[in-house]
Amino acid sequence: MNDKHQDLVETMFPSDGSGIKPYEWMISPTRQRQWIDDKGIFLWLAFFFSEIGAGLYFMSLFYSFRPGIVLGWLITLVLGGLIHMLYLGNPKRAWRMIMKPNTSELSRGIWIIGVFAVLGFLQIITPGGFNMVFNFIMGILCLLIISHGFATMNVIRALPAWNSTIVLPLSIISGIWVGHQLLQLMFAISGNAAAASGMEVWAAAFFLAYFLCMLLYAWGTWHASGAAKAAIQRMLEGDLKQITYIGVGVLAILVPLVFTLIMWGGDTNGFLIFLRLASVCAGDLAIRYLIMKSAVYNPLI
Amino acid sequence: MPRWGMVIDVKRCIACWGCTIACKEEHFLPPGVFFNRVLIGESGKFPTSSKLIYPVLCNHCSDAACVEACPTGATYVREDGIVAVDDEKCVGCRACMVSCPYQQRTYYDEKVKDREYFPGQGKTEMEIIGEKLYPFKLGTVIKCNFCSERLEDGMKKGLTPGKDEDASPACVNICPVGARIFGDLDDPESEINRLIMEKKGKQLRKEFGTEPAVYYID
Repeated sequence: MNDKHQDLVETMFPSDGSGIKPYEWMISPTRQRQWIDDKGIFLWLAFFFSEIGAGLYFMSLFYSFRPGIVLGWLITLVLGGLIHMLYLGNPKRAWRMIMKPNTSELSRGIWIIGVFAVLGFLQIITPGGFNMVFNFIMGILCLLIISHGFATMNVIRALPAWNSTIVLPLSIISGIWVGHQLLQLMFAISGNAAAASGMEVWAAAFFLAYFLCMLLYAWGTWHASGAAKAAIQRMLEGDLKQITYIGVGVLAILVPLVFTLIMWGGDTNGFLIFLRLASVCAGDLAIRYLIMKSAVYNPLI
Repeated sequence: MPRWGMVIDVKRCIACWGCTIACKEEHFLPPGVFFNRVLIGESGKFPTSSKLIYPVLCNHCSDAACVEACPTGATYVREDGIVAVDDEKCVGCRACMVSCPYQQRTYYDEKVKDREYFPGQGKTEMEIIGEKLYPFKLGTVIKCNFCSERLEDGMKKGLTPGKDEDASPACVNICPVGARIFGDLDDPESEINRLIMEKKGKQLRKEFGTEPAVYYID
């Protein structure tokens, strides 16, 4: 059997049993592939980088911290934007995505990112950029960008696991939580220990909110419909359980909890902040991966 | 302007896959790409279980989720109700594929294009000719178009889609038991409207509110 033949067999009859056989298509819950498999992995990374960049920008607004907004702006546009482009089949036509903001969430996202790019740049170069009006507008834009990835998924009615009401709060909290961690590390590195220590008050609150959103997502999705429950079952008992228990259980919840308790009361340390940030980022990536990978369609018959 | 639709009589269907093959031949589809499928499932439990046979294709929904999701307007509903893809506008974001509850779209990339029907032996003449006669653009999404080329050519000759073979979709023409009936949903006198009314035609997964133009009767 040569390589091409093997590729074809793998396409028609993949080992996970979800092949594109013309007779067994969509007769059982069928998983979403386009936005996570193969090049779809770029979309997962693009959503993550857009979210953490906008999260960092958002948190930096409260501290009028220019390096934070510069880095947040760059992460969102350069990393988030470029990786988005890598995903597209025809990236040269990407400008066309501004054409349908009335119905398409993707199109609305492109508009928001465009406005964020221009106003963010103006705020960065303007000496008095941290005024109330600018901060308010940029804060709203950051929240919209943080939630853009999950909002794009949330509007897809065909996938009940994504069509949950808690998806948007979860994405907003996770963006702010990761942004908070990044900013705290920046303060710690730049020698501003007082600011890093002061931010620790919020760490516990954001962690708790993040944890509650995850629980609510799992609980709400489990009870939403058969297909939504099948998605959670895949996470807890199926082929994704290792990512769930290690990525979410350990990296997103347990490790940050331990470090938050160690630094309780503002007793912060740059190295511990770095370790917690690394764990939170890995955990957030795991959660996003799981939500994107586990979603299944209802069978047609 | 007519609004094209289809009625599929699942009691008549014998699962011969004629529609699947005719469609692949009509559009020169590469291996693993299907615009028409015949789904086979079961319902109930022994001893009252029954076999379900459902031919499926793009439902050409009038309130299509794919049209809403498309950020460029590449996917659109034509005046005659056919959901079409303008491959010049498609950016390959696949939002349409993810949002379609019926999963009737395929992303056409190098991997799909390079597939051979006889792996490792090169493409057959038929496959090479097919790529020239019916070219798909790389990095775009492809789907059933109700054989709109046949419909348009036939109507130019004065033929009636659904009645004359040269103006009807390939899957309708090939069906040996007449399980597929094609016609104008906006014409109250059309055969498909009569069947939908008399036999209480059902749409697949109606709860998504996409208003499919393909109805099933039994």
